[in-house]
Amino acid sequence: MSSYEISKSENYLNYCSDKIRPLPVTGPDAKPLPKMTLDGQVVEFVPGDTIMQVAERAKVASRIPRYCYHPGLSIAGTCRMCTVEVEKAPKLMTACSTPATDGMVVRTRSEKVLKSRSGVVDCLLASHPLDCPVCDKAGECELQDYDYEYGPSRSSFVDEKRVFPKSSTRKLSDKIVLNMNRCVACERCVRFTDEVTKTNDLVMLNRGWKKELTVGDEDKGLYNDYQGCLSDFCPVGALTWSDFRFQKRVWFLRGNASICDRCAKGCNIEVHSEKEIIYRFVPIYNPKVNAHWICDEGRLSYKMVTNSHRVIAPLLEVAGHGPTATSWETLIPVTASLLKNSSRALLVLGTDSTMEECENLRKFFSKFVQNGEIRYFNGTGITTSSENKALDHLLRQNDKTPNTKGVESLGLKPLDVAGVNGFDTVILFRSGRAGIPSVAAAKNLILWGVWSDEEVRAQKNVRALLPGLATQEKSGTFMNCDGILQSFKKAVEHRGYGLDVTRIIEKF
Amino acid sequence: MSDLVITKNIHEKDSFKIENYLKHDGYKASARVCTTLTPDQVIDEVKKSNLRGRGGAGFPTGMKWSFMPKDSSKTKYLVCNADEGEPGTFKDRLIITRNPHAMIEGMIIASYAIGAHVGYVYIRGEFFREARMLEFAISEARANGHLGKNLYGTQHSFDIYVYRGAGAYICGEETALLNSLEGKRGEPRLKPPFPAQVGAFGMPSCVNNVETFAAVPYIITEGAQKFAAMGTEKSGGTRLYGVSGHIERPGVYELPLTISIRELINHCGGVRGGKKLKAVIPGGASAPMLSAEDIDVKMDFDSLMKAGSMAGSGGVIVIDETVCIVEMACILLKFYEHESCGQCSQCREGSHWLAQLFQRIENGGGTMADLDTIASLCGNMAGQTICAFADAVTGPALSSVRKFRAEFEQHIHQKCCPFKKDHKHIGHKASSVQGVPGVTHV
Repeated sequence: MSSYEISKSENYLNYCSDKIRPLPVTGPDAKPLPKMTLDGQVVEFVPGDTIMQVAERAKVASRIPRYCYHPGLSIAGTCRMCTVEVEKAPKLMTACSTPATDGMVVRTRSEKVLKSRSGVVDCLLASHPLDCPVCDKAGECELQDYDYEYGPSRSSFVDEKRVFPKSSTRKLSDKIVLNMNRCVACERCVRFTDEVTKTNDLVMLNRGWKKELTVGDEDKGLYNDYQGCLSDFCPVGALTWSDFRFQKRVWFLRGNASICDRCAKGCNIEVHSEKEIIYRFVPIYNPKVNAHWICDEGRLSYKMVTNSHRVIAPLLEVAGHGPTATSWETLIPVTASLLKNSSRALLVLGTDSTMEECENLRKFFSKFVQNGEIRYFNGTGITTSSENKALDHLLRQNDKTPNTKGVESLGLKPLDVAGVNGFDTVILFRSGRAGIPSVAAAKNLILWGVWSDEEVRAQKNVRALLPGLATQEKSGTFMNCDGILQSFKKAVEHRGYGLDVTRIIEKF
Repeated sequence: MSDLVITKNIHEKDSFKIENYLKHDGYKASARVCTTLTPDQVIDEVKKSNLRGRGGAGFPTGMKWSFMPKDSSKTKYLVCNADEGEPGTFKDRLIITRNPHAMIEGMIIASYAIGAHVGYVYIRGEFFREARMLEFAISEARANGHLGKNLYGTQHSFDIYVYRGAGAYICGEETALLNSLEGKRGEPRLKPPFPAQVGAFGMPSCVNNVETFAAVPYIITEGAQKFAAMGTEKSGGTRLYGVSGHIERPGVYELPLTISIRELINHCGGVRGGKKLKAVIPGGASAPMLSAEDIDVKMDFDSLMKAGSMAGSGGVIVIDETVCIVEMACILLKFYEHESCGQCSQCREGSHWLAQLFQRIENGGGTMADLDTIASLCGNMAGQTICAFADAVTGPALSSVRKFRAEFEQHIHQKCCPFKKDHKHIGHKASSVQGVPGVTHV
């Protein structure tokens, strides 16, 4: 079975479209596709495409600036930023909404077009506070980018700027802060809550220059589970993600592709980090899995990786002191002898282990342990993948581990009700997401993988702890709840003594 | 003086009642259309009459009707635009209060031509009394068998419902009107698709102005030739002109399209108090204003277009020499600033910017650079947005600067308004509506 390799898409999120229609079936009697000229380049298109989709198909969509257009949302055509010059049309046309026709000649950079875009940016900046130095969006702001590219060299606006006193720093929820002064009224957010989450918890109030974003129901507030996406696609700093506010200037961040392991969906993410410290997760477009979105729970799940209570050094039990930090050189022989001397050993694999880890540990276990068995354990409210349910119509899953299906596909059995009874040595391997079975009955407990201080202290019989890597710190393969195999690469370097499973096994 | 199309009998007592309308051969045209003509014949007749939309854009009505899909199984809707919000325009109100049955009959004929069975009258929210009167007229027509199922013994059924708007100027734009009719935000839609393909509730719809519908029965009764002969080569019939401002006898006048502005002003008794004329807005507030030198232009669509203005909604605002053009433009722009729906970037921000800029010039804080800003800003707005609202904003802004630049420069150099001493803007006074018969006051 081949797996899909998650990688950073060449283009920014807003330029990847799920609006591209499939090519019609080709055959001997298939009609040739219509053609149009885009900036002098003749491109084919599928009937029904808009000019924007033609540009997306030709991979030159980044030539057309946009505010209200988002490839995952319906077309509004209101920002007037994507206007292009169409030959024989009296006015400039919006690329997002104008259907392409055979023989159409489109120029995306003509003088007329540039003048119009400059006018739009000039108007948008008239009442914009220009507080980029303190704005979290600065550096990835479409208003900044397009102003730099298309805007006038100076503004002739000298009057008083519009201010929304009540919405200058308004907490719409615990996760999102609104600054209406920065808003360009593209209404992506309104359409998102209308069409994607279907919660309608954001609406526009008033009209004209007094137009103000507010919550649909003051009592409920903003309550959908995908609020982080609002901040992702907000072209300006109007909607900011509380968790990331004032944390880091975005130009310091390095983005590496990885996978979200907070649930069985396996959303593709870009891990934004500086000096190997993760600051946020943002989605990567994958039409088969998460499209343009990820949920808030997944977005905040980076906190487990950067958790200050996470154990990142090998631990060994010292009589009277409990597990105490040690070195790998001391730990490995002790662990090896524990395993060799055990009468009956059990390896419990958390369903957050990658396929490769499962394979390697299975080999390692059968080599070292004569009388042993392997089970998997989910522990997030379900036991097998068949019990998994989708929590909403979008992405969120009941199964809070990323690889239950994958572990099952390796032929492993779930940890049954009997638990660890009858085993004197138990190895618990997990990457921080799977639950912890009750293992008090075992004489020796060896913890492996990602554990927090509290989780270790809750176990009374820990003999050793072998720190491992969290999902974003390693490469591997997961099978998501829909049976899609996705492989990912290391996004950040581990900042401790934790090691990959293969490296630890080599030490034995 | 040519024949009157709409206002012939409005001076009679209770002219809005159906007895009065029937006395003057009312509902004969609709009966004849439904029983003897085919829809295509009706559309041809209207095309031949050169009737052009009276709402402002002046689109040929027969052409609009012929765009409606013929063999579609979809429900079709006929919508009457009675959202008369253009400042200086009050002609539709006259039709609704004095001759509503002409409009209803026109709607019946139109419904037959396009194959619609439901008609909506979208009436502006402030027209409360007018909405009541219209409801009354519709119920009269229904009681007399002109609305309902199987009209005049044919297969054609048609009924009209009145829908009151909530007071947004932009809902006079046909697609914003349709959105508002559906209960959504009154924001213009992206075109294409045009209402003839996807209109009210996603169905093919045809939107026409009150005056357009009211002219249709005449075309059927008297023949398209006679109607076409009244007007110019490209637009037939007469027009209702709502003349207001500094004029001796303000009011609604039905006059041929071939009349010039000078003739119109003289017809209405000349400028009030014998003062000198300064400017004329020929077609509602969004039409660019014309100075006193330009008033020999004819009032038809094409001549006004050539003169740099537009026929618009036929609301003629006469401005005498005592008016400060900057202040007047400022008041108009405040209106537009308030009424922009706020969808398109340039219109939302630009209308606010312009209003602020004009206010500053009026207050004496303007600079010469501001005049260039006005020109470039209007250039950025006009023709760049979804609907024609941005063009409407630039109408008064650009034309006032172009025609009365000296006055702007005076404001800028003197750092104050030269008219301020003896001129004060008096707010809108509630007009008396007493004496409209048959309506209980609420």
